[in-house]
Formats: sequence, C-alpha cells, structure tokens
Amino acid sequence: MERRISIFKSISGRLTIQVLLVSACLFLFSFILFYEMSVKKVEEVAVQHAHSELASTINQIENVLTSVKVAVENTAWYVEEHRESKELMYSITKTLLSNNDFIHGASVAFEPYFYDSEEKYFAPYSYRGENGNIITKQLGNEEYDYHHMDWYQIPKLLEQAYWSEPYYDNGGGEMMMTTYSKPLYDAYGNLYAIISADVSLHWLTGLVTDIKAFPESYNIMISRAASYLVHPERDMILNETIFSTEYEKPDSRIEKMQDDIINCRGGEIVLIKNSEKHFMFYSPVETTCWSVGIVCPFDVVFASVQKLGNTVIIVAIIALLLMIIICYRSIRKITGPIHEFASAAVEIAGGDFNVPLPKIRTEDELMLLNESFEFMQKSLNSYIEELKSTTAKKERIESELRIASEIQMGMIPKIFPPFPERADLELFAKLIPAKEVGGDLYDFFIEDEKLYFIVGDVSGKGVPASLVMAVTCRLFRTISSHFDTPEGIMTALNNSLSENNASNMFCTAFVGILDLRTGTLKYCNAGHNAPVLVTADATTFMEVNPNLPLGLFPDFPYEGQCIDIARNTGIYIYTDGVTEAENTDKELYSDERLLDFIRNNADSDSQDMVEASFADIARHADGADQSDDITVMYFRYR
Amino acid sequence: MKKIPAFFLALMTSVALDAQEIVFTPQWTAQSQFAGYYAAYELGYYKQAGLDVSIVHPTQSNPTLNRLKEGSCNVITLELIQAMMANGQGESLVNILQTTQHSTLSVFVRNPQVKEFEDLKECRVGTWTAGFSEIPHMIDQDKNLNIRWISFMSPVNLFISGAIDATLAKTYNEKILMKLAGIKPGNIIFFSENGYDYPEDGIYVTRAFYRRNIEKCRAFAEASRKGWEWVRTHREEALDITFKYIKAENVATNRQHQREMLDEILRVQEDKAGDTPSYILKEEDFNRLNDALVRYGYLPSALNFDGFTAGE
Repeated sequence: MERRISIFKSISGRLTIQVLLVSACLFLFSFILFYEMSVKKVEEVAVQHAHSELASTINQIENVLTSVKVAVENTAWYVEEHRESKELMYSITKTLLSNNDFIHGASVAFEPYFYDSEEKYFAPYSYRGENGNIITKQLGNEEYDYHHMDWYQIPKLLEQAYWSEPYYDNGGGEMMMTTYSKPLYDAYGNLYAIISADVSLHWLTGLVTDIKAFPESYNIMISRAASYLVHPERDMILNETIFSTEYEKPDSRIEKMQDDIINCRGGEIVLIKNSEKHFMFYSPVETTCWSVGIVCPFDVVFASVQKLGNTVIIVAIIALLLMIIICYRSIRKITGPIHEFASAAVEIAGGDFNVPLPKIRTEDELMLLNESFEFMQKSLNSYIEELKSTTAKKERIESELRIASEIQMGMIPKIFPPFPERADLELFAKLIPAKEVGGDLYDFFIEDEKLYFIVGDVSGKGVPASLVMAVTCRLFRTISSHFDTPEGIMTALNNSLSENNASNMFCTAFVGILDLRTGTLKYCNAGHNAPVLVTADATTFMEVNPNLPLGLFPDFPYEGQCIDIARNTGIYIYTDGVTEAENTDKELYSDERLLDFIRNNADSDSQDMVEASFADIARHADGADQSDDITVMYFRYR
Repeated sequence: MKKIPAFFLALMTSVALDAQEIVFTPQWTAQSQFAGYYAAYELGYYKQAGLDVSIVHPTQSNPTLNRLKEGSCNVITLELIQAMMANGQGESLVNILQTTQHSTLSVFVRNPQVKEFEDLKECRVGTWTAGFSEIPHMIDQDKNLNIRWISFMSPVNLFISGAIDATLAKTYNEKILMKLAGIKPGNIIFFSENGYDYPEDGIYVTRAFYRRNIEKCRAFAEASRKGWEWVRTHREEALDITFKYIKAENVATNRQHQREMLDEILRVQEDKAGDTPSYILKEEDFNRLNDALVRYGYLPSALNFDGFTAGE
C-alpha cells in the first residue's frame, strides 16, 4: 500500500522550506544592510544639500552685516576726530544712515556727563521716518536709560564691537532690529561713547524663508539665546525659544545643539514635533552667532529610500514566491523517481521481483539507486531459484530421514509391557535419537526362559550411525539364539561388524542373558557404560570388564561376567546420552545424579522409572538442545 | 532701539481714585507671578466681595511703590524686604497677605568652580536695574567680596556674550529664561540654602488706607487668597488667564516660561513641600529679616511686627 506523505514532510517540501528560509534570511540581511547604507548615504547627501543651501543664504546675510560693520567702522574715526564738537554728532549719525541703506537708525551714545556735568544722557540718534526721510533726535533720558541697554553695556564690558541680540522695536519701526555697537576710546584708553547702527531685519525673513531645500521643509532662524528670529508662525518670533515648546522629545544630540548654537557652530539634530520625527539642519551666521536652520520631516528626507525600499521588498516577495514554486517543482522532479523506487520496493517485498523500475537518464545518485535495485532484483531472483532447489532437496532428504526413522524405530521393540503374561519380569525401554535417526539401540527377547537383552551405542550420530545400529540390531536378533553366553554373542557381533568396516565405525554395547528361573545374570560389556544394579539394599554401578567396543578388532576375546540377582532386583541400562546430557551451562548430568535419581526412584515400576528418568534429564537440560541419542532400558526381576 | 510704550506713559499720570475703587498694582509687568490676582479678578472673586478692583501694571519709570506714594494705586504687591525698607524710610506700609514664604534669589554662575558666595570675589555679577538686590549687597558688604555689580534689564544676553561672570536670577524668572535660552550654568547658588531664606511677595497698603478701609482690605486679601487657591488646582487655565494680561501688556514671553514660573511661585508659597499655604507672614521670619536689615544699616531701627501686619 502506498503511504501518503504530507507536503511539509516530503523531501521537496522540506528542501523548499529550507531554501526559502535561507534565501529569506539572506535577503533580509542584505536588505537591512542596503537600507542602512542607503539611509546613511541619503542622510549625508541631505546634510550636504541643506548646509550648501544654508551657506548660500548665510553668505548673503553676512554680506549685509559686513557692509553695516564697515559703514560703522568707517564713521568711527570721524567721531574721534570731531568729538569736541557736540553738535556735529547729530550729522555724523545722519551720514551713517546715508552711507548704508540697511541701516535703519544710528547713534553715538556718550558716557554719562561727557559733555556736561548736568547731562547724564547724550545720544544723538538718526532714524528713517515713515516716508524714508531721516529724522534726528537725542535719544537718552530717564525713561530710556541707554547706559543699561545691551547694545551699550555689553560692548562696553567686553571692550569690543558687538552685535546685539535681535529685538522688536516697539517705539519706532515696529520691526525686528539688531544693533551693531562699537566702543570708542580716547587717547588714554577711556571709553567715552558707543557708536551704533540699528539694522532692520525685515529683509532677513524673506531671505531665510526663500530657502527651498526640501519639499515640505520650512526654515527658521534663531538667535544666540535660542529665540526664534524667523519662523513660519509669527507668534513664535522673539517669544519662544527653540528649547521652550516646539519640540517634544529631542534626541540626545540636544545638548550638542545647545553648545553649537551658543558657540556658533553648525550641525544637525533629530527632533520630535507633533509626534513626528524631524531633521533640523543648522548653520551659524558667524558675525552675529545666529543660526539659520532647515526643519524637514524625516519621511520627506528619506522618501526616496522608503520608496526604493518598498519596491525592493515587493520584488523580493515576488521573487521568493517564484522561487518557492520553481524550487518545489524542480525538487519534486528530482525526487519523483524515489517515490517510484519506494513503490517498486513494496512490490519486490511482495514477491514481484521483476516489477519495472523507473527509467533514470541522469547520471547521478538516482542512477546508482536504479543500478542497485536492478542488481537486487537479479540477486533475489537467483537466490529464490537456489532456495527453491535447496528446499526441494531438503524436503526430499527430510522425507527420507522420516522414513528411515520410522524404519529404525520399527527395528526396536515398541510394545510395552512386552511380556504381560509374565509375572517374573517387568521391562520398559525408551530411545530418543538426537536427530531424525540415531546410533543408539536396544533389543530384548525371551527364549528358553532366558531374557536376552542388548543396549548399544554406535559411534557418531545420524544416518551412518543408524545404519550400523540397524546392522547391530539385526545381528543381535540373528546371532543371540545360537549362543548361550553373552561373550559368545559379543564375539560374533564383533566379528561381523569388523568385517568391511572401512569407515571404522564402532559400537559400545552391553549384552546380558538373565535366566529367569534362577536369577543368574550373565553379561558382557563392550566399552559401554556400566549399568546400575538396584537391589533392596543398594543402588550401585555393576562391576563390568571394559573390553573393546564392537567393530574395531576381529576375534577380540570378550570376557563375560556373571552374577546372581535376587528377586525384586532392577537393572538400569543406558547409553552415555544420559550421563553426558548437558544443560545450557555445559554441565553434565553425571553418574552421581543418575545414581541419586535411581536411588530415589528405586520403588518405581520400570515404565515410571524410565519416563521419570527422561523427565529428570530434560529438567537438567533446561531447554538446551539434545546433543546425543538417549536410551534407557530398565527391568526388574520379580 | 527699545522704547517705552505709549501705553505705559499714559499710566504714569496720577489718577484720582474713587473712594470705593481699588487699583491694584503688582510689582512687575504681567506674568504668572501674579496669576492669583488675575484669577481672582477674572473669576469675579473681587466682585463677589463687593470690591471694584482694577489691575494696573507698573512701568520702569514709575514703579509700584512710587505709584502707591503718588496715589495712582492703593493696593500693591512688594517683596517683604522692600516693604520693610520703605517703612524704615518713613513710609507706613501694612502687610495684608503674605503669599510666598521662601527666597527665590539665586546666583547663576558660569564657572563651575564657583560654589559659594565667597567665590564671587571681584566678579562681574548682573543685577536688576529695578532693585531686588538688597540681600546680595548685604552679603557683598558682609563678606567684603568687592563684587562689580552690572545692572541689567535682562541678564541673558549679558551672560551669553561673556560680559558678566554671574548673574542674580530669580528662580521663577531669570533662571528659567537662561534654561530656555539653552544656557547651562556652571553652578547655581541658592540664597534659601545659604541662610538667607526670607519670605518675599506680599500685598501691601498704606496704613492710612488700611485704617479707612479695614474691611475692604481684608476682603481684598481674602479674595486674592481664593484666587491663588484656585490657581493651585487650575494651573493651565490660570496660564490662559495670565496670557490675557500678558498680551494686553505686550510682554514678550512664552507659555513654557510662564508655566515654570507659576510652578515655582506656587512652590515657594508652601512652608514645606506639599503643605497648604498659610498666606501669613510669620513673626519669626519678620524678625530674622528685621535683625539683618538693622545690622547692615538698611533700617535705622527695628520695625514692629504688629504694626507691620496691622495687628497694631
């Protein structure tokens, strides 16, 4: 029966999944690498682009500021030259305005009581009126204590020119201003005035706003104190600082930005605004230490990478899907014959050795498998043929042996009790060959009130021994009646068996003649085990002359022996299969155990004695194979 | 250049006050330092108390105390030290409510090595042109520090430019301004942690006004206290109200600054962190400052606590 294998457990399924996983991992790794590198590159380009845009704008701002600075510097010497002339100071401020269109107001603000010990404030100031005309006035008074204004006090303390932080001019032009102030010193190095120029920053807003670095980006400008100077939301200007509200969660670079802004350096930072990541690129206007910045949503900066990334992912998914299909089909094509081989193996196992095998045209492992299958088919066919022939032979031999066994068993007395009519003799015998046929033998008969009996054991086992046994049995029957002594019988048997004994087979035997009338037992032993004599008093091995086994030396002079046995005496005659029976530990049954057994069963009748004896031998063997024929004959003279 | 708005100039002229009207002038321009009064006004607590109140802010040229003297307002807020010194100079101010209990003075220092007042020797230190610096001057004198005081309108630019080494900073104002400008201090020395923790803001009237209008004064103090209590539990709404005044006064500021200012003001109103404010000037605090001012010659003689708080 063909087993169905789930797609995920099949080789093609598993290989496809493995290939897919490896490919997907490789793709993911490559994609992350590619994406990270792209992001980094795009960020570099964005930073470059933003700073280049900023540089151009900052350059324009610097030009304006420098022109104002130059105008003030060029006027300062004039103040120094004419500082004794108080009234001339008004025209100097007017001249400064005329020299530079960016200057909205100009003043020369003197230290307290410089001209007059009664006059704390003297600061001639010229500024552009609404119509563009220049208006001149004295600026300082109790209400406008310029001595504590940043534009005056800071350059005085720093002893150097100073650009003020931008401020909103509420009183004059209603616009954002910055002031450039330069301290003026007399020949002794004492400060006597600050010359200053106010610059409207109106033009600045347009300049900064006009930067179009990225779609959706907006631009800001912040002062050194982080106040917004330019911002798309007007309310933020000069009210909020970059650190006051706008950004919810700046990244760790915020501290660097703080330092950058205060110390006049450029940079970039990632900020969170309205829960959205933003890039801020900033560069300083070095003259004033203000910073111009471009703020752009993260997504806009990385839109191209995002788009490319999406495309790559879609293409990769399609490629992976195609790869799954192609991979699965290819592997199935390769592994398809394996299914056919599996089916063929099932058929072969079922006995169809000639089942057709799949055709393999590729010179690969499958071809080797195919060749192996073909070889297996041929081997199996030849093996089965051989097996058939061997089995037939074996069956014939077994059949012959069975018949031989029957014949052999037919040669020994099988009917018990053999002499039911006799009260003076009770006899039982049993032979179990180790193979189908054996070399043990026993026989007995009564003639002239004498019991003739023999128990023998032919050397070897199987068919050769059985043939000698058969001959010996037949000879015993034929010869015995012509002799009245066991040694006569033994000598005759020996001479017959010795003739033409080319294979040197021999046979041990115990032959006896019991005179049932007198109890005289004549016996002759030819190399056989000594029988056991069971009397009312004792159970002992009989004394026997060893003599030589039969069939070895013709005319060997066998010596007979004779004892008289009393009634109720039992004789236990056996072959060495009894005492040499082995158990699984190769331990012999032994003479001692035999004697003990017989002693313990001395009262048994002959059949019980023999059957119990075989049972005890089987108990000793404990399942071990019987290695030798076993024969026991027991009779009791009553 | 910065100009004083015409709006303030108009307010500089003396206003003849109606007998029933209370013109309340806090000690500075509109900011959340005065949120309790704005809330009391906007929520109608003053009206509910039967008071006809108007809130008028001071100008640089005509500060609060001047305005009280000239009669253009009749209820003001002042710091305790200013009120005591005014009384020492012949004024007769009466404290009708003490809102804060701790000093908000600090020195914002550039150099991290400067850790205590003694380290400020011969440094340039920013201070307000408007005053509030009596205690720092006292310390300067006491410890012979020879500090070079630089008056400012705002210390931020002076500090950033490097023109000063340190600046006095109120914890509810300049300290926050510095932070929002991205300026990191090398160190901050708090007066409250160095043995100079005196109460500050309180509401004052002249003794003459007080005697004539005892009930009105008490009602104003009570309504103001209610205003502050509401602010404590409605901070963002209080900021919304404050910004109405900030916009009207055209003050450049931002909500974060005002939010942090309000948080700090509410903190110093508590005796200890988490306490419910008592709104009472404690005699013990008064006496400590009284002693210091006498010792350093800011007061010719010690003032009487009962008289100062209208216990008489």
